[in-house]
This record gives sequence, C-alpha cells and structure tokens, in this order.
Amino acid sequence: MARKIREGLNMDMTPMIDMVFQLMIFFLVTIKMEQDLTNPDIKLAWAPSGPAIEQKDPRTIVIEVDRRGHISIANTPMTVAYLRGILANSVRMQGYGLPVMIRGDHRAKHADIRAVMDACSSVGLWRIQFAAVKQRGR
Amino acid sequence: MARRSRRTSFEDVKLDMTPMIDCVFQLLVFFLVTMKFEDIMSRLDVNRPTPNPEKTQQEQVVDMIRIGVFVDGFTLNARPVGLASLESMMFKLADLDKTQTILIECAPDSPHERLIQVLDLCAKTGLSNLSVLSL
Repeated sequence: MARKIREGLNMDMTPMIDMVFQLMIFFLVTIKMEQDLTNPDIKLAWAPSGPAIEQKDPRTIVIEVDRRGHISIANTPMTVAYLRGILANSVRMQGYGLPVMIRGDHRAKHADIRAVMDACSSVGLWRIQFAAVKQRGR
Repeated sequence: MARRSRRTSFEDVKLDMTPMIDCVFQLLVFFLVTMKFEDIMSRLDVNRPTPNPEKTQQEQVVDMIRIGVFVDGFTLNARPVGLASLESMMFKLADLDKTQTILIECAPDSPHERLIQVLDLCAKTGLSNLSVLSL
C-alpha cells in the first residue's frame, strides 16, 4: 500500500469507467423521456372520480387542445381539416375501434373541443375519451 | 501505519470505498434532479352522437336526462342547478338506473373544465352512458 502511493504512476481507471457508465445510463433514461410528447402548457381539469389510466392503448391518438384552442398531436400543430384527414387515414387503417383521447386545457372553450369532437365523429369515431388529472403529483 | 503493518496480511486488504461513494452520490444527484412527481391521470369516456340530421335526437330527448353546461352554471332538464345539488340529484338518478342515457349539452363558450366537472360527477355516481352534445 505504502509503496504504491510512492510510485504514484498507476492510473486508476475505476472512477472513469464509473462515470462513463453513469453517462450511458443517463442518456438511456432521458431518451425514453423524449418519446412522451405532450404539451407541458396544457393544464388538465381535475376529475378525482374518473377511472385511472393504468395501461394506455398504444394505438391511442392523443389530440391536444390548448387554452387558446390550438389543436396539436404530439406537439405538432394542425388545423381541424388536417386533423380530420389524419383521423380518416387512421380509421381506414385501424378500424372504428381506434381510441381517441382529447387532452383539453381546463380553460379551453367548449367550441374548440367541439371542433375536435366533430372531426372525430365525422370519420366515425363515436367513443371519445377526455383526459383529466385524478391526483396531482407531489 | 506501523501498527497496521503488524497485523496479518488478510486483515490488511482494505476495500476502497471512494468509487462506490462517487457512484452513489452521482445516482443520488441524478434522481434528485430528475425527480418529478407524475400526475395520476383519469380518463372519462363519452359518446359523441352523430351530427347526422337523419339520426336526430329530438324524439328520444323526452325521457332522457339532460344536463346543460353553461358559462355561469349547470342546468338539469332545463332547470338551473348548482354543482352540489346536481351531484345529489345524479346520485338519486343513478340509484334508479345506471345505464340510462345522460345527454350533456354544452354551450360553446363554456370552459372545458365545466364539462369535465359534469363528467367527473357521472363517473362518481356510476352513470356510464353519456352523450355529449354541443349547443
């Protein structure tokens, strides 16, 4: 032990490998975070009695409506006509059982939500889910 | 040092704790920084009746429960009610029949929050056959 300190030339690789491992895990974890694309500005209304979303159907189309009535899917803004085209294509490929979820800001006017619902029902999607917050984190 | 060298060589094998402490510290800082309490989400399922005029709702409306959602409040079968009395009435309705159709009529300028409040009440009372109409 004492001799090793006096030589002082052996580089210990352990901390470096530790750090590289840490960075690798960090990037692996953060890459997964980016797949979850929702608009952070949207504040959902509070619905403590609704059934919790445990396992979301991966086919679910999540349509977001912010408080000014702008429609977007996965942070991509679009018009109602464009949304209807997307929904029509999705229905053609996946059938009428396609789940649609509307994430509407609690301050959004119903007229804007209505535009999205009308787009859904015009392509034959009758069943619509509204997202709300069951329990606030923290 | 002198005292330690007098011990047996087996005891002299010391585990270097520094890398492990470094690592644990890194993990601690990472999780502290990335910690974000997720909201638990709920979903409220509704039916959107067809806007098709041939399948008009008018003749069915008579025996249906109609809840109106407006900017300044709610109505139950065209009678203005508060949220608390709406809840008690809906509990009574749900006692009779949980599968009856509830027609929710929404004014275009009402905030989305109000519709969610009504849908939340429906979920609370167990009424599951919900249709949302826009006025």
